[in-house]
This record gives sequence, C-alpha cells and structure tokens, in this order.
Amino acid sequence: MAYDKILVVGGWISGITAAVEAAEMEYDVYLVEKEPSLGGRVAQLRYYFPKLCPPTCGLEMNYRRIKTNPRITVYTMATVKNISGGPGNYKVTVEIAPRYVNENCTACGECEKVCQGERENTFDFGRSRTKAIYLPHPMAFPMRYVLDKSALAEGDLERIKEACKYNAIDPDMQPQTVELEVGAIIWATGWKPYDARKLDNLGYGRFENVITNMEMERLASPNGPTGGKILRPSDQTEPKTVAFVQCAGSRDENHLPYCSYICCLASLKQSLYLAEQNQETDIYFFYIDIRTPGRYEKFLRRAQEEARINFIKGKVAKIEEDPETKDLIVTAEDTLSGKKVSQRVNMVVLAVGMQPSLAGEAVPAGVSVDENGFVQISEGMYACGCARLPLDVMTSNETATAAALKAIQTIVRG
Amino acid sequence: MARIEPDVKTVKEIQAAGGDTVKKCYQCATCASVCPLATEDVPFPRKQMLLGQWGFKEKLLSDPALWLCHQCGDCSVYCPRGARPGDVLGALRNMAVRELSEFKFLWTFYNKPWGLPIIFLICAFLVLFVMSWFHPPISEWVGSLPMGYPHDEGRRVLMIDALFVPLTVFVIIMVAIGVNRLWRGLMENAKIPAAYRLGLWAILVTYLVPAIKEILAHSRFQECGANRWRFNGHRMVLWAFVILAIVTTTVFVGADILGFHTPWPLYNPIKILANIGAIMLIYGCLALMANRSRAALEGSLSSSYQDWFLLWLILLVGLSGLATEGLRLLENDWSCVAYIVHLILVAMLFLSVPYSKFAHLVYRTTAYVFDLYSRDVRAKMAALEAQAAPSTTEEISAPEATEEEGEEGTSEEGQTA
Repeated sequence: MAYDKILVVGGWISGITAAVEAAEMEYDVYLVEKEPSLGGRVAQLRYYFPKLCPPTCGLEMNYRRIKTNPRITVYTMATVKNISGGPGNYKVTVEIAPRYVNENCTACGECEKVCQGERENTFDFGRSRTKAIYLPHPMAFPMRYVLDKSALAEGDLERIKEACKYNAIDPDMQPQTVELEVGAIIWATGWKPYDARKLDNLGYGRFENVITNMEMERLASPNGPTGGKILRPSDQTEPKTVAFVQCAGSRDENHLPYCSYICCLASLKQSLYLAEQNQETDIYFFYIDIRTPGRYEKFLRRAQEEARINFIKGKVAKIEEDPETKDLIVTAEDTLSGKKVSQRVNMVVLAVGMQPSLAGEAVPAGVSVDENGFVQISEGMYACGCARLPLDVMTSNETATAAALKAIQTIVRG
Repeated sequence: MARIEPDVKTVKEIQAAGGDTVKKCYQCATCASVCPLATEDVPFPRKQMLLGQWGFKEKLLSDPALWLCHQCGDCSVYCPRGARPGDVLGALRNMAVRELSEFKFLWTFYNKPWGLPIIFLICAFLVLFVMSWFHPPISEWVGSLPMGYPHDEGRRVLMIDALFVPLTVFVIIMVAIGVNRLWRGLMENAKIPAAYRLGLWAILVTYLVPAIKEILAHSRFQECGANRWRFNGHRMVLWAFVILAIVTTTVFVGADILGFHTPWPLYNPIKILANIGAIMLIYGCLALMANRSRAALEGSLSSSYQDWFLLWLILLVGLSGLATEGLRLLENDWSCVAYIVHLILVAMLFLSVPYSKFAHLVYRTTAYVFDLYSRDVRAKMAALEAQAAPSTTEEISAPEATEEEGEEGTSEEGQTA
C-alpha cells in the first residue's frame, strides 16, 4: 500500500519551500535538517537576490508558514541513515542527535552568560567563536539553544544548569531513531562553498586577507563577526582596495567543472556592500566572463553605476602577500590589452564556487548522485535547489515548488 | 572591418603535431599568470592558444614566446580546461623547426617513427662509404670482422675529417638558413621600427653574450617552478656538450692539424675532460629520461616521439663512445664495431641539429637574443614617448638591414658532440 506523506531532506530555503508548498496542498510532510536550526545559507547572507532583501525577510515568513501548519513535522539535528522500499512506499530511518537542550528552552540566554567553554562558530566560517552552549544563529528555528558537550569547560555544566530557570538542560539526552513511511522524498540538501584551500595558487589559508565570498557575507552581515563592518582580517581596518577573483574553483576541471551560476552576481552585490561602506573603495574585478543570467543583466549595470569597479578580463592565477603590510599582489593577464597585470590590494575576495552538500559524503542507498555530487532525479526521488544544480534563491524556490508537485504526483498516482 | 578567416589546415596540423587539445582553451589566461617566464609586456601562452585555434601559422611560428617557453608544465597543470598549453607550444616548436628548415624530407625522417631506420641507413651509408674509401674494400674487412681497433692513425683521421668536416659545414649552412628565417620572422612580427634596427655585429656583441650566459647558467629554466627536477639533468647535458665540444675542437687541432697521434693516454688532461664530459652526458640524459617519465605520470607534461628520440640518441652516443673506449683499452676486437656504431650515431646527432628537437639549441638561443633586444627596444621607445610627448620622432633614420645572416655564434654551439 502506498504512503501519502512526503519527506523533505534539508531545511534550508529550498527544503522549507518544498515542505510548506506540499503542506499547504494538504499533504503531511516531514522536514529533516542535519543542523540544529533551519535557515542554512540564506541565513548567512547580508542580502539575497533578486531584490537584495535581508534574509529575515524570506525566512521569517516561511517559519510562520511552518509554525501555523500542523501538517509539517520538523526534525533538526537529524540525518537520513537508511532508505528502503520504492516510489510510493519508502521506509526511511532517521537518526536524531542529542541536543542536550529540551523544549523548555526559551532562548533567554542566561546559560550562555555563565558558560566558559568556547567553540569555533561554523556559522561564521570559523571567523568568530561561541560558547559551548549557543544559539545556532539569530534567526534560528527552532529558537532553542544547543549544547556542544565537547567544548564544555570544567564546571560549565553545573553553572549552566543552575542558570537555566526552565529546567531545559538535559545532559543525558540520547540519540534517537525514528522510522518514517513516506510516498516520495525531496532532496533539498543545498550546497557548501568549495574548499578554497584546494586552490593552492590563490593563497587562501596562507594569507590572512584572502577571504571567500561567503565569509564576505558574514563580514557584511549585521549579526556577523564584525557587526556588519567589512574589515580585513589582518588588522581589522577598512579595505580601500579589494580584488574579486571570479571562478575560484568553478569552470575548472581540476575543481568544479561547472559554472556556479551565482558567484558573478554575488561579487557584484558585494561590490555594492563595499560602496555602501565607503564610496571611495576601489574594486578590481577579475573575470573570465561576467555571467549575469537572464534579467540579472540589469544588476551588472547597477553595480557599474554605484560602485567603483575596474573590470579586468583575465582569471587570477597567482596571489602573493606583502609580508609587511599584508597587502596582496594579484596577478592576471588582461586579455583585452594583452599585458600581464599585478595589482596590489588590501583584501582579496575569492568567488568560491558552489559544491552540492552531498559531494564527497556517504549517501544512503537508493539515492543517485552524479560525479559532482548533484542529486539525480528519479520516480519518487526528487531534488530541488542547489542539491540539484547551482541556482539563486528565487530559482531554487521555483524548483522546490516543482519538486513538491512531483512528489504529490507520485503519491496521487500511487 | 577586415574579415578574419580561420586556417583550418593549420589547426589540424597543430592537432596532429601533439597540440590536439588546442581547441579546448577558453581564454581565461590562467596559463599566462601561472607561467613564471611570461613577462608583463609579452605574456604567453594564452595568446598563442588563441592564434592556434584560428590557425594563424605565420604569426605563431615567428613568435618568440614559442622558444621562451621551457615547458615546465605549470600551465597545463593549472589549466581549467585540460587544454594543455605547454604541450601545444611543444607541438608548435616542432612545426616551427620544420618550417624553418631546408630539405624538409630530412625533417620528416627525423620526426616520424618510420623515418628512424631511414636516418640510420643514411648515416650508416655515409660512415661505411667513407670508411671504404680510406680502408681496404668494404667486402674485405667486413669478412674479417671483428678486426680490432683501427690503429692506422693517418687513415682514421682522414676518414673522420672526410665525413665530419662536410657534415659540419652542411649543418652550419642549414642552421644559418633556419636562424635567418626565424630572425626575419621575429623582426617582422614584432614590428620593430626601422630606427631601432641594429646590424648583425651590434646584435651579436650586445645581446648574444648575455643570452649565452643565461643559457649556460640556465637561469630562466630554473624559474620554472615545476621544472626543478628537470633543471639539473638538462644543465648537465648542456655542459657535457660544451665540454665535449672543447675536447673535439682540441683533438681536431691537435691530431688532425698538428699531428699528435691519438688515442691519447688516459692521464692526458683533455682525455680526462672527455671522459668527464661523457659521464655527465649519460648521467644527465638518464636523469632527464627518469624525470620525463615521472612528469608524464603526474600529468604535467606529455612526451612525444620527438622528445624520446633525442634523449635516446644522445644517450646512445654517450654509451657507444664509452663502449668503444673501454673495448679498445681491453684490446677487444669488437671495439671496431663499437666505433663504427658510435660514428653512425654521432652522424645522426650532428645531422639532427637543424631537423630534430635538437634545433631548440639554436632557435631558443636566437629567441633569447631577440627577447633581450626587443626588451631594450620597448624600453627605449617607452622612454622616448615619456620624454618627448609633443613631437613624434621621425622613424626614417638609421636604415640598416639587420636581417642578413643569423648568428653564427649560436650555430657553432650546434656542432658540439
């Protein structure tokens, strides 16, 4: 017999959209998220396309749709371990890691104040630290703290428990396993930035002032490590000259053989962040081709008008550091003039490409991914957003709605 | 607007010569930035890849970049498209050697595997023919093989001179023709204004000496990051050739002209030098071979028949030379056969200078000279432009046809071994 529920794997923007779209068509949905909170990449951004809204904008609205819809069951810190059966009747084993903080938590933050142990903040790509007990991010869903036991300092546990007025700390929580019976599965596992350390000629990880585009979003974000001021890491000063290095990993058979779709636009957008901070910032934009798909062409014109961008057609293949000033010397051939350019800048932003989250990960049997880690669609198994191909938020959401419809079709047709 | 037509025939030629990946390039210019030898003013090999895709033969083959590249493979390793610019430039060099040469059938024999037996037979014929001239009829001594080392000093010396003096003259003329063609092409392609053209002598005096210094020190070769492993082997082979050239010249003057009998004893300084040269040659060659195999495994470099041909030929020249000497010292009768084989191989190597990959010795030297010269010209022009912005200087003065002969200086290097 066929099951009439839908499993959505991944609770970032595409997964949330797929879940609420299906639920609003009166189908029961399980939304399974690996992290302690929904929100994902969009929550990390300063602004997002197409309208340059802050992430609160889209996320708050969608959280509301989840909260008010009894058909959606959300599991966070949950991983799909096993899938059996086929289209119409999948049995899925989901493992839920212990959060050590129960539903009583009101996110009052008293625990955090007394906690001494710290952990690297992965939400800020390691550019800030949190306490061992922490809120995943200001737009967390569920709005609940998480405890990283491995980061606790001595005596922390007692102090935290004492500080919590709601009896929400539960250090004895055990991993749980739930069995879900669903008719269709939507993969919305999203993307991760390509590991910039693999681009050995661009100096990421060796030179302090070479950062990635996602780190740039965190620097520009009001809830980021610098409170929204774009400061270069070595001396926390405002950069006066910034180079954007496009195709850092993308369109490269040695790294990501595809175009990551959004990086050109992201760098143009970040040029606006810099212009917003200081109109005088000189931007050097190194590119192979500037790709602003479809109607985004207009955005290129806007960035050209509003920011001081020097466009240089040529890929950067060498970055050196001036050890004294920590400035960077960026080398490329300007293919329009035919001369080699060595540009000194205060900071370099690598437009690092998108890699599907599943790339290099163990994937449950029954799911098929291509050689780059993108999920391949089959009857009963659908994919949307960047789990399927590199996309912007708007198009991700369109594919999410489409995936919800396909999942419903599988269930309805039996 | 001028209509630009691609030359499909040349594109196919490049692809067949080992540049089969040329069409993959999408002009991102990663190659030109990672290349440690590409300069700010004249970066390569991105431009050459574009010219290659369109098949602009003339422009390509008279581009100094072809010879300024030492094929470290950095560009191929970092190329995001697998277009292997390093290998494409290698293929273009191979084509350039053909275009620059006279008697192109010899190029064909040297560069196609099926030509190997033909070259061998040509050189064997030359050696045996000359031998039969100075020694008893061929039929007689072939029957008495092995007959021991030809100790008949006078006839042996005459025989060698009769073979190698004309061969050397031929090679020098061929190389001079090639260098002359290359130089004309370089001058035309770079559009050096008449005012900055110099006479042959001025070019040689001003730029050949620093170019040779650079080559002997291998300073540019060393800049190739991925190349350090190749650097030592290559320098050793070059120095071995220099040493052997000195030895050969000394022996030529000493034995053939002044009449000091050879073979000279082992303690003779020239003999010691000769043996050191031979060992360096063999060692350097083996190092290059080992490292070429490793580079192929690492994917930084792909080796063609032409690459292996030259390495094996040089190695066999070294080995057969040492074998002859060893067998002679042991008074083994087979030393004569080893000697004949050695002479055939040496003749093959000599004759290969204008036709095989060995030609890089002269053409790269020419390109170095041109590079130093054109850098100076660019600097002077820039200085002039900065200094006298209002009055554009006339470009009529200083006629000087520089492009007569190429540099003999470089071609002399070709006669080593």
